[in-house]
Amino acid sequence: MCLGGESYVLAVAANQPSPTRILNLAFSPTAQRRTTRRFVANISRYNVYSPQFDAQEDELISRMDRRFVRRMVSRAQWAAAILTVFAMLAPAIAAQTATPTSAKAAAPARKRAADTAAPGAPVKTIGNRNAPITMEVFSDYQCPSCGNFFENTLRAMIQDYVAQGKVYLVHHDFPLQMHTYSGQAARWANAAGMIGQFQDVDAALFDNQAKWPVDGDIEKYVAAAISPANFKRVQGILKGCTAAPPTSKADRSVPQADPGCPVDPYIVQDIVLGYQVPVQATPTFIIHYKGQSYPASSGIITWPILKQFFDTLLSQ
Amino acid sequence: MTPNETRGSLARTLLILGRLVLAGIFLFAAYAKLKPQAAVPWSGASIKTSLSLFAMQVDSYQLLPPQLVSPVAHLLPPFELFLGLWLLSGVFLPYSALVTTLLIAAFFATQVRTYRAGLEINCGCFGPGERLGPKTLLHDGAFLALALAVTVGAFVQGRKRRDESVPVAGVSTPQRAD
Repeated sequence: MCLGGESYVLAVAANQPSPTRILNLAFSPTAQRRTTRRFVANISRYNVYSPQFDAQEDELISRMDRRFVRRMVSRAQWAAAILTVFAMLAPAIAAQTATPTSAKAAAPARKRAADTAAPGAPVKTIGNRNAPITMEVFSDYQCPSCGNFFENTLRAMIQDYVAQGKVYLVHHDFPLQMHTYSGQAARWANAAGMIGQFQDVDAALFDNQAKWPVDGDIEKYVAAAISPANFKRVQGILKGCTAAPPTSKADRSVPQADPGCPVDPYIVQDIVLGYQVPVQATPTFIIHYKGQSYPASSGIITWPILKQFFDTLLSQ
Repeated sequence: MTPNETRGSLARTLLILGRLVLAGIFLFAAYAKLKPQAAVPWSGASIKTSLSLFAMQVDSYQLLPPQLVSPVAHLLPPFELFLGLWLLSGVFLPYSALVTTLLIAAFFATQVRTYRAGLEINCGCFGPGERLGPKTLLHDGAFLALALAVTVGAFVQGRKRRDESVPVAGVSTPQRAD
């Protein structure tokens, strides 16, 4: 959205403009006089002017003025109505283009849209896809470093630069073979991503990382993170997942996806993408800016240092 | 040429070789950290971006507080460049070699500590992309041994030169017979 237009609409809405005010702004007395003079000049051009018409002319001009004002008032009322509607819609439009995480008001709309949509490819992204910086993170839900990275860096980043539309965060699953439940956790996150609930489930999995790996009861924490109706939908998606979930292999072979599990192909896709990077440890992240990809970094990077790197990129 | 002279000549050659290898390592390390990390031409902005990226590698060691990470990351590559040029020049070699040894020892100790802590991070030794592991420890250990050898060699050679230039006490210089 054009910033100039948006700020103008917001300013107008804030000042509660009256139709007369808009008329005064758009059609100043000078503009009205100019229109009248043009009218008189037209009368002269068609040789209908003579001194005896003075009185009639004055009357005509004043009638024209009144008609002009009435017409302008009517137009201004329409303009004010359109502007008011536009000003009311502006926040919703801004929320659509800005990050869904930042706009709490937009969240219900997002949820409603997700509820009505049929489950498709999981959406595991946070923020505005048109943000100047894209950050792809390869993560494992059971890896302590990934949990640490999420809690101390990504959470702050989501609240700050993702919310401001500066960074678009893309999550990729890279469940490691050494972690018993990370593949299953990835399945829950992907299923949630299929109904537009990825962000809540992603946060819940990392928030409770110390708890669910104890007995593998991931379901409990997913249920607490989303509404019962959405939880039922997620459960429904994972109904056919009976075989072991796919995980990355030390020999870089492509893991098997459970044919009955609709989310497994997406996890396998992420793992194969990770092999290509190559992801040697989790978390690993790649930053893209202005069509350029910067080398993959791994490990825990603190938010102030990551922010500094983003600021350096954005200042170019 | 006496065997002593041959040994001295070989030691001098090895010292020059070791010094040049160390200079090359440091110049390359500085270049790898300062060069553009994406497909962009060299510029002030590209160097700034590379240093910010290097700051992330320094930060991943989880050794320094965030307020120190950035100054260290911005000072280290220029210092490596300076050290490389200093070693290349051969001026005050014992001191340049000593500084090099201390710096490599600090790198090596940090890497051992990080590896033992189980952190799976990029080394950052020669720019991004190299994972910290046994291979990294091996080459940094070799660099440390080389730097130590050059330092000892430079000090020994410096002492020999001093000994040769100072007249030995008790030995009289030949007198002119008029």
